[in-house]
Amino acid sequence: MQAQELIESYVDDVARRLPRKVRNDVGLELRALLGDQLKAAAAEAGCQPDERMAIDLVHRFGRPDDVVSSYRERGFNLIEPGDAPLFVKLATICVGLQWALTLPAVFAGTSTFSAWWVSWGFGALAWPGALVLWFAAAAWVRRVSPVDPDTRRRPWTHWIFWLPMSEDWQPTLVRRPGAREVKLQIALAALATGFFAAPAWFLDLFVADASWARYDGDFGRWLLAPLIGLMVARLALFVAITADPRRRAPTEKLRFGLWAALVGLLYWSAFSWTIFAAPAVDAPFKAWLSVFLLVNTLQIVAWLRRARTRVRAPASRA
Amino acid sequence: MVAIRDSNAQKLETELRRGVLVLAVLSRLRTAQYGYSLRQALAEEGMPIEEGTLYPLLRRLEEQGLLASDWRIEEGPPRRYYKLNAKGARLYDELTTNWRGLVKTMDRLLD
Repeated sequence: MQAQELIESYVDDVARRLPRKVRNDVGLELRALLGDQLKAAAAEAGCQPDERMAIDLVHRFGRPDDVVSSYRERGFNLIEPGDAPLFVKLATICVGLQWALTLPAVFAGTSTFSAWWVSWGFGALAWPGALVLWFAAAAWVRRVSPVDPDTRRRPWTHWIFWLPMSEDWQPTLVRRPGAREVKLQIALAALATGFFAAPAWFLDLFVADASWARYDGDFGRWLLAPLIGLMVARLALFVAITADPRRRAPTEKLRFGLWAALVGLLYWSAFSWTIFAAPAVDAPFKAWLSVFLLVNTLQIVAWLRRARTRVRAPASRA
Repeated sequence: MVAIRDSNAQKLETELRRGVLVLAVLSRLRTAQYGYSLRQALAEEGMPIEEGTLYPLLRRLEEQGLLASDWRIEEGPPRRYYKLNAKGARLYDELTTNWRGLVKTMDRLLD
Protein backbone atom coordinates (compact mmCIF):
# COMPACT_ATOMS: atom_id res chain seq x y z
CA MET A 1 0.00 0.00 0.00
CA GLN A 2 1.34 3.41 -0.91
CA ALA A 3 1.79 5.91 1.90
CA GLN A 4 -0.88 8.25 0.51
CA GLU A 5 -3.35 5.37 0.10
CA LEU A 6 -2.77 4.41 3.70
CA ILE A 7 -3.53 7.96 4.82
CA GLU A 8 -6.68 7.98 2.65
CA SER A 9 -7.81 4.72 4.22
CA TYR A 10 -7.23 6.11 7.73
CA VAL A 11 -9.08 9.34 6.96
CA ASP A 12 -12.02 7.36 5.53
CA ASP A 13 -12.14 5.28 8.69
CA VAL A 14 -12.22 8.41 10.86
CA ALA A 15 -14.75 10.17 8.62
CA ARG A 16 -17.15 7.20 8.73
CA ARG A 17 -17.40 7.61 12.49
CA LEU A 18 -18.04 11.36 12.40
CA PRO A 19 -21.51 12.98 12.39
CA ARG A 20 -22.78 13.37 8.83
CA LYS A 21 -22.82 17.19 8.85
CA VAL A 22 -19.07 17.52 9.58
CA ARG A 23 -17.90 14.31 7.95
CA ASN A 24 -16.73 15.73 4.65
CA ASP A 25 -15.30 18.91 6.09
CA VAL A 26 -13.25 17.24 8.80
CA GLY A 27 -12.24 14.43 6.46
CA LEU A 28 -10.90 16.86 3.87
CA GLU A 29 -9.05 18.85 6.48
CA LEU A 30 -7.59 15.75 8.08
CA ARG A 31 -6.40 14.48 4.72
CA ALA A 32 -4.59 17.77 4.01
CA LEU A 33 -3.08 17.90 7.51
CA LEU A 34 -1.80 14.34 7.47
CA GLY A 35 -0.53 14.80 3.92
CA ASP A 36 1.44 17.87 5.00
CA GLN A 37 2.89 16.03 7.95
CA LEU A 38 3.82 13.04 5.84
CA LYS A 39 5.66 15.30 3.40
CA ALA A 40 7.44 17.04 6.26
CA ALA A 41 8.50 13.69 7.76
CA ALA A 42 9.81 12.55 4.37
CA ALA A 43 11.68 15.82 3.83
CA GLU A 44 13.28 15.44 7.23
CA ALA A 45 14.32 11.88 6.46
CA GLY A 46 15.56 12.95 3.01
CA CYS A 47 13.53 10.37 1.10
CA GLN A 48 10.11 9.77 -0.46
CA PRO A 49 7.14 9.15 1.89
CA ASP A 50 6.78 5.45 2.57
CA GLU A 51 4.42 3.07 4.30
CA ARG A 52 6.43 3.06 7.55
CA MET A 53 6.25 6.85 7.84
CA ALA A 54 2.50 6.82 7.16
CA ILE A 55 1.90 4.09 9.74
CA ASP A 56 3.95 5.97 12.35
CA LEU A 57 2.04 9.12 11.58
CA VAL A 58 -1.44 7.66 11.92
CA HIS A 59 -0.44 5.69 15.01
CA ARG A 60 0.74 8.91 16.60
CA PHE A 61 -2.48 10.59 15.60
CA GLY A 62 -4.55 7.97 17.40
CA ARG A 63 -7.14 5.27 16.88
CA PRO A 64 -10.07 6.46 14.75
CA ASP A 65 -12.46 6.07 17.70
CA ASP A 66 -10.26 8.26 19.90
CA VAL A 67 -9.81 10.85 17.16
CA VAL A 68 -13.55 11.05 16.65
CA SER A 69 -14.23 11.41 20.37
CA SER A 70 -11.93 14.44 20.50
CA TYR A 71 -13.99 16.06 17.73
CA ARG A 72 -17.26 15.40 19.50
CA GLU A 73 -18.88 18.02 21.68
CA ARG A 74 -18.08 17.74 25.34
CA GLY A 75 -20.79 15.79 27.07
CA PHE A 76 -22.06 16.08 30.61
CA ASN A 77 -21.89 14.06 33.78
CA LEU A 78 -24.88 11.81 34.22
CA ILE A 79 -23.75 11.43 37.82
CA GLU A 80 -21.71 14.30 39.27
CA PRO A 81 -18.19 13.18 40.23
CA GLY A 82 -18.87 14.28 43.81
CA ASP A 83 -21.94 12.01 43.93
CA ALA A 84 -20.18 9.00 42.44
CA PRO A 85 -18.90 7.53 45.75
CA LEU A 86 -22.38 7.84 47.30
CA PHE A 87 -23.92 6.27 44.20
CA VAL A 88 -21.54 3.31 44.38
CA LYS A 89 -22.17 2.95 48.11
CA LEU A 90 -25.97 3.08 47.74
CA ALA A 91 -26.03 0.74 44.75
CA THR A 92 -23.82 -1.77 46.57
CA ILE A 93 -25.92 -1.58 49.74
CA CYS A 94 -29.22 -1.95 47.84
CA VAL A 95 -28.10 -4.86 45.66
CA GLY A 96 -26.21 -6.51 48.53
CA LEU A 97 -29.16 -6.16 50.91
CA GLN A 98 -31.68 -7.59 48.44
CA TRP A 99 -29.39 -10.53 47.70
CA ALA A 100 -28.56 -11.07 51.36
CA LEU A 101 -32.26 -11.13 52.29
CA THR A 102 -33.44 -13.36 49.45
CA LEU A 103 -30.54 -15.70 48.64
CA PRO A 104 -30.80 -17.71 51.88
CA ALA A 105 -34.05 -19.19 50.51
CA VAL A 106 -31.95 -20.96 47.85
CA PHE A 107 -29.65 -22.45 50.47
CA ALA A 108 -32.61 -23.39 52.64
CA GLY A 109 -34.02 -25.33 49.68
CA THR A 110 -37.28 -23.36 49.46
CA SER A 111 -36.28 -21.92 46.07
CA THR A 112 -33.98 -22.86 43.21
CA PHE A 113 -31.07 -20.71 42.13
CA SER A 114 -32.53 -20.14 38.66
CA ALA A 115 -35.92 -19.12 40.13
CA TRP A 116 -34.12 -16.78 42.53
CA TRP A 117 -31.94 -15.31 39.76
CA VAL A 118 -34.84 -14.46 37.42
CA SER A 119 -36.76 -12.80 40.26
CA TRP A 120 -34.89 -11.29 43.23
CA GLY A 121 -31.35 -11.90 41.97
CA PHE A 122 -31.46 -10.16 38.61
CA GLY A 123 -34.22 -7.85 39.86
CA ALA A 124 -31.77 -6.34 42.38
CA LEU A 125 -29.93 -4.79 39.45
CA ALA A 126 -32.91 -2.46 39.04
CA TRP A 127 -31.54 -0.57 42.08
CA PRO A 128 -28.51 0.87 40.25
CA GLY A 129 -30.88 1.85 37.42
CA ALA A 130 -33.27 3.62 39.80
CA LEU A 131 -30.33 5.33 41.52
CA VAL A 132 -28.92 6.49 38.18
CA LEU A 133 -32.26 8.20 37.50
CA TRP A 134 -32.19 9.77 40.95
CA PHE A 135 -28.63 11.11 40.67
CA ALA A 136 -29.08 12.10 37.04
CA ALA A 137 -32.09 14.21 38.07
CA ALA A 138 -29.97 15.86 40.79
CA ALA A 139 -27.16 16.52 38.31
CA TRP A 140 -29.65 17.95 35.82
CA VAL A 141 -31.11 20.31 38.44
CA ARG A 142 -27.59 21.52 39.29
CA ARG A 143 -26.75 21.94 35.62
CA VAL A 144 -29.84 23.99 34.76
CA SER A 145 -29.61 26.08 37.93
CA PRO A 146 -25.92 26.94 38.40
CA VAL A 147 -24.74 28.94 41.38
CA ASP A 148 -25.24 32.65 40.75
CA PRO A 149 -21.79 34.30 41.13
CA ASP A 150 -23.36 37.43 42.69
CA THR A 151 -25.72 35.88 45.20
CA ARG A 152 -23.67 32.65 45.67
CA ARG A 153 -26.82 30.57 45.62
CA ARG A 154 -28.74 28.53 43.11
CA PRO A 155 -32.02 29.84 41.80
CA TRP A 156 -35.02 28.49 43.68
CA THR A 157 -33.04 27.41 46.71
CA HIS A 158 -34.18 28.41 50.13
CA TRP A 159 -30.95 28.06 52.11
CA ILE A 160 -28.70 30.93 51.25
CA PHE A 161 -25.59 30.86 53.38
CA TRP A 162 -24.34 29.22 56.46
CA LEU A 163 -26.19 30.72 59.41
CA PRO A 164 -24.88 30.88 62.99
CA MET A 165 -26.59 28.74 65.60
CA SER A 166 -27.56 31.67 67.76
CA GLU A 167 -30.30 34.23 68.20
CA ASP A 168 -27.80 36.96 68.84
CA TRP A 169 -27.41 38.35 65.35
CA GLN A 170 -29.43 40.38 62.89
CA PRO A 171 -31.20 38.38 60.17
CA THR A 172 -31.01 41.48 57.98
CA LEU A 173 -27.29 40.77 57.63
CA VAL A 174 -27.94 38.00 55.15
CA ARG A 175 -29.55 38.24 51.77
CA ARG A 176 -32.94 36.64 52.05
CA PRO A 177 -34.43 34.49 49.36
CA GLY A 178 -36.87 36.29 47.06
CA ALA A 179 -40.43 36.40 48.34
CA ARG A 180 -41.72 35.00 45.04
CA GLU A 181 -39.43 31.96 45.26
CA VAL A 182 -40.38 31.25 48.86
CA LYS A 183 -44.09 31.53 48.07
CA LEU A 184 -43.66 29.15 45.16
CA GLN A 185 -41.80 26.63 47.32
CA ILE A 186 -44.47 26.80 49.99
CA ALA A 187 -47.21 26.45 47.36
CA LEU A 188 -45.47 23.41 45.82
CA ALA A 189 -44.94 21.78 49.22
CA ALA A 190 -48.61 22.40 50.11
CA LEU A 191 -49.69 20.96 46.77
CA ALA A 192 -47.52 17.87 47.28
CA THR A 193 -48.98 17.40 50.78
CA GLY A 194 -52.50 17.77 49.37
CA PHE A 195 -51.72 15.27 46.64
CA PHE A 196 -50.38 12.78 49.16
CA ALA A 197 -53.53 13.24 51.28
CA ALA A 198 -55.90 12.36 48.42
CA PRO A 199 -54.15 11.21 45.24
CA ALA A 200 -57.30 9.69 43.74
CA TRP A 201 -59.21 12.95 44.17
CA PHE A 202 -56.44 14.95 42.43
CA LEU A 203 -56.01 12.45 39.61
CA ASP A 204 -59.79 12.34 39.07
CA LEU A 205 -59.47 15.92 37.84
CA PHE A 206 -57.27 14.77 34.94
CA VAL A 207 -58.23 11.17 34.15
CA ALA A 208 -61.61 9.52 33.74
CA ASP A 209 -61.20 6.88 36.43
CA ALA A 210 -58.51 7.21 39.09
CA SER A 211 -59.86 4.57 41.44
CA TRP A 212 -56.53 2.73 41.09
CA ALA A 213 -54.92 5.56 43.07
CA ARG A 214 -57.08 4.94 46.16
CA TYR A 215 -55.37 4.15 49.43
CA ASP A 216 -55.95 0.88 51.17
CA GLY A 217 -58.74 1.22 53.77
CA ASP A 218 -56.62 0.44 56.84
CA PHE A 219 -53.77 2.65 55.70
CA GLY A 220 -56.18 5.54 55.09
CA ARG A 221 -57.84 5.00 58.48
CA TRP A 222 -54.75 4.66 60.68
CA LEU A 223 -51.61 5.99 59.05
CA LEU A 224 -52.61 8.70 56.61
CA ALA A 225 -53.61 11.27 59.26
CA PRO A 226 -50.32 11.04 61.25
CA LEU A 227 -48.32 11.22 58.02
CA ILE A 228 -50.21 14.28 56.80
CA GLY A 229 -49.90 15.80 60.27
CA LEU A 230 -46.11 15.46 60.15
CA MET A 231 -45.95 16.90 56.65
CA VAL A 232 -48.08 19.88 57.64
CA ALA A 233 -45.94 20.42 60.76
CA ARG A 234 -42.78 20.39 58.62
CA LEU A 235 -44.37 22.85 56.22
CA ALA A 236 -45.37 25.15 59.11
CA LEU A 237 -41.82 25.00 60.46
CA PHE A 238 -40.47 25.81 57.00
CA VAL A 239 -42.69 28.90 56.87
CA ALA A 240 -41.56 29.94 60.36
CA ILE A 241 -37.87 29.48 59.51
CA THR A 242 -38.30 31.45 56.30
CA ALA A 243 -39.81 34.32 58.26
CA ASP A 244 -36.86 34.35 60.66
CA PRO A 245 -33.79 32.45 59.46
CA ARG A 246 -31.94 32.59 62.80
CA ARG A 247 -31.07 29.02 63.69
CA ARG A 248 -31.93 27.97 67.19
CA ALA A 249 -31.04 24.66 68.78
CA PRO A 250 -34.68 23.77 69.68
CA THR A 251 -35.87 24.62 66.17
CA GLU A 252 -33.11 22.49 64.65
CA LYS A 253 -34.01 19.62 66.96
CA LEU A 254 -37.68 19.97 66.10
CA ARG A 255 -36.85 20.04 62.39
CA PHE A 256 -34.77 16.90 62.74
CA GLY A 257 -37.37 15.21 64.96
CA LEU A 258 -40.18 15.83 62.48
CA TRP A 259 -38.04 14.60 59.63
CA ALA A 260 -36.94 11.43 61.45
CA ALA A 261 -40.52 10.74 62.58
CA LEU A 262 -41.82 11.12 59.04
CA VAL A 263 -39.15 8.79 57.66
CA GLY A 264 -39.83 6.28 60.44
CA LEU A 265 -43.57 6.31 59.77
CA LEU A 266 -42.96 5.91 56.05
CA TYR A 267 -40.71 2.91 56.77
CA TRP A 268 -43.49 1.34 58.81
CA SER A 269 -45.99 2.09 56.04
CA ALA A 270 -43.75 0.64 53.34
CA PHE A 271 -42.87 -2.58 55.08
CA SER A 272 -45.87 -3.39 57.29
CA TRP A 273 -48.90 -1.95 55.53
CA THR A 274 -50.61 -2.08 52.19
CA ILE A 275 -50.54 1.53 51.00
CA PHE A 276 -52.53 1.43 47.76
CA ALA A 277 -55.51 -0.86 47.40
CA ALA A 278 -54.45 -1.86 43.87
CA PRO A 279 -51.45 -4.23 44.07
CA ALA A 280 -50.26 -3.00 40.65
CA VAL A 281 -49.83 0.49 42.14
CA ASP A 282 -48.75 -0.54 45.62
CA ALA A 283 -45.67 -2.55 44.59
CA PRO A 284 -43.99 0.02 42.29
CA PHE A 285 -44.85 2.84 44.68
CA LYS A 286 -43.18 0.95 47.50
CA ALA A 287 -40.11 0.35 45.34
CA TRP A 288 -39.74 4.08 44.77
CA LEU A 289 -40.54 4.80 48.40
CA SER A 290 -37.71 2.44 49.38
CA VAL A 291 -35.20 4.46 47.36
CA PHE A 292 -36.52 7.67 48.91
CA LEU A 293 -36.28 6.17 52.39
CA LEU A 294 -32.81 4.83 51.82
CA VAL A 295 -31.52 8.23 50.70
CA ASN A 296 -33.24 9.91 53.66
CA THR A 297 -31.84 7.36 56.09
CA LEU A 298 -28.33 8.07 54.89
CA GLN A 299 -29.00 11.79 55.19
CA ILE A 300 -30.24 11.30 58.74
CA VAL A 301 -27.15 9.27 59.63
CA ALA A 302 -24.95 11.99 58.09
CA TRP A 303 -26.88 14.66 60.05
CA LEU A 304 -26.39 12.79 63.31
CA ARG A 305 -22.69 12.28 62.65
CA ARG A 306 -22.24 15.96 61.81
CA ALA A 307 -24.13 16.97 64.95
CA ARG A 308 -21.60 15.05 67.05
CA THR A 309 -18.51 16.30 65.25
CA ARG A 310 -16.47 18.96 67.02
CA VAL A 311 -13.21 20.55 66.01
CA ARG A 312 -10.70 19.65 68.65
CA ALA A 313 -7.33 21.19 69.39
CA PRO A 314 -4.43 19.01 68.31
CA ALA A 315 -2.79 16.98 71.03
CA SER A 316 0.38 18.85 72.04
CA ARG A 317 3.63 16.98 72.09
CA ALA A 318 5.97 17.43 74.97
CA MET B 1 8.52 6.53 44.97
CA VAL B 2 10.62 8.39 42.43
CA ALA B 3 8.43 7.05 39.64
CA ILE B 4 5.28 8.30 41.41
CA ARG B 5 6.81 11.75 41.88
CA ASP B 6 7.84 11.86 38.22
CA SER B 7 4.41 10.88 36.99
CA ASN B 8 2.81 13.51 39.25
CA ALA B 9 5.20 16.16 37.99
CA GLN B 10 4.38 15.17 34.41
CA LYS B 11 0.67 15.32 35.08
CA LEU B 12 0.94 18.76 36.70
CA GLU B 13 3.09 20.04 33.85
CA THR B 14 0.53 18.76 31.32
CA GLU B 15 -2.20 20.59 33.23
CA LEU B 16 -0.16 23.79 33.24
CA ARG B 17 0.40 23.55 29.49
CA ARG B 18 -3.26 22.71 28.87
CA GLY B 19 -4.24 25.89 30.67
CA VAL B 20 -2.28 28.09 28.30
CA LEU B 21 -2.98 26.16 25.13
CA VAL B 22 -5.93 28.24 23.98
CA LEU B 23 -4.05 31.50 24.48
CA ALA B 24 -1.02 30.11 22.63
CA VAL B 25 -3.17 29.06 19.69
CA LEU B 26 -5.05 32.38 19.60
CA SER B 27 -1.73 34.25 19.62
CA ARG B 28 -0.63 32.59 16.36
CA LEU B 29 -3.98 33.10 14.69
CA ARG B 30 -3.70 36.84 14.44
CA THR B 31 -2.54 35.93 10.95
CA ALA B 32 -4.30 33.22 8.95
CA GLN B 33 -2.83 29.74 9.42
CA TYR B 34 -3.79 26.24 8.38
CA GLY B 35 -3.45 23.37 10.82
CA TYR B 36 -0.01 22.17 9.91
CA SER B 37 1.53 25.66 9.63
CA LEU B 38 0.02 26.58 12.98
CA ARG B 39 1.48 23.51 14.61
CA GLN B 40 4.87 24.33 13.11
CA ALA B 41 4.65 27.94 14.27
CA LEU B 42 3.87 26.87 17.81
CA ALA B 43 6.59 24.23 17.85
CA GLU B 44 9.16 26.73 16.63
CA GLU B 45 8.30 28.95 19.59
CA GLY B 46 8.73 26.06 22.00
CA MET B 47 5.09 25.06 22.31
CA PRO B 48 4.73 21.69 20.57
CA ILE B 49 1.15 20.43 20.49
CA GLU B 50 -0.11 16.98 19.62
CA GLU B 51 -1.95 16.89 16.31
CA GLY B 52 -4.85 15.08 17.91
CA THR B 53 -5.25 17.95 20.38
CA LEU B 54 -4.73 20.90 18.08
CA TYR B 55 -7.14 20.14 15.24
CA PRO B 56 -10.22 19.42 17.35
CA LEU B 57 -9.36 22.53 19.40
CA LEU B 58 -9.42 24.65 16.26
CA ARG B 59 -12.87 23.38 15.37
CA ARG B 60 -14.12 23.97 18.91
CA LEU B 61 -12.83 27.55 18.89
CA GLU B 62 -14.54 28.08 15.56
CA GLU B 63 -17.80 26.64 16.88
CA GLN B 64 -17.53 29.03 19.82
CA GLY B 65 -17.48 31.88 17.30
CA LEU B 66 -13.88 32.95 17.97
CA LEU B 67 -12.33 31.99 14.63
CA ALA B 68 -13.19 32.48 10.99
CA SER B 69 -12.10 29.86 8.48
CA ASP B 70 -12.01 29.39 4.73
CA TRP B 71 -10.74 26.81 2.26
CA ARG B 72 -7.88 27.90 0.03
CA ILE B 73 -6.23 26.14 -2.83
CA GLU B 74 -2.65 27.31 -3.24
CA GLU B 75 0.16 24.79 -3.51
CA GLY B 76 -0.88 21.23 -2.85
CA PRO B 77 -4.26 20.07 -1.55
CA PRO B 78 -7.06 22.42 -0.42
CA ARG B 79 -6.32 23.71 3.07
CA ARG B 80 -8.51 25.26 5.67
CA TYR B 81 -7.14 28.53 7.00
CA TYR B 82 -8.15 29.84 10.42
CA LYS B 83 -7.91 33.38 11.72
CA LEU B 84 -9.18 35.30 14.74
CA ASN B 85 -12.45 37.12 14.07
CA ALA B 86 -13.51 40.28 15.93
CA LYS B 87 -14.85 38.33 18.91
CA GLY B 88 -11.76 36.14 19.01
CA ALA B 89 -9.49 39.19 18.86
CA ARG B 90 -11.32 40.77 21.80
CA LEU B 91 -11.03 37.57 23.80
CA TYR B 92 -7.36 37.32 22.88
CA ASP B 93 -6.71 40.87 24.19
CA GLU B 94 -8.59 40.10 27.38
CA LEU B 95 -6.77 36.82 27.98
CA THR B 96 -3.41 38.44 27.21
CA THR B 97 -4.02 41.12 29.85
CA ASN B 98 -5.05 38.45 32.37
CA TRP B 99 -2.07 36.32 31.48
CA ARG B 100 0.41 39.19 31.96
CA GLY B 101 -1.10 39.96 35.34
CA LEU B 102 -0.88 36.32 36.28
CA VAL B 103 2.76 36.09 35.20
CA LYS B 104 3.64 39.12 37.35
CA THR B 105 1.85 37.60 40.33
CA MET B 106 3.53 34.24 39.83
CA ASP B 107 6.93 35.87 39.44
CA ARG B 108 6.44 37.63 42.77
CA LEU B 109 5.36 34.37 44.37
CA LEU B 110 8.18 32.34 42.91
CA ASP B 111 11.01 34.81 43.56
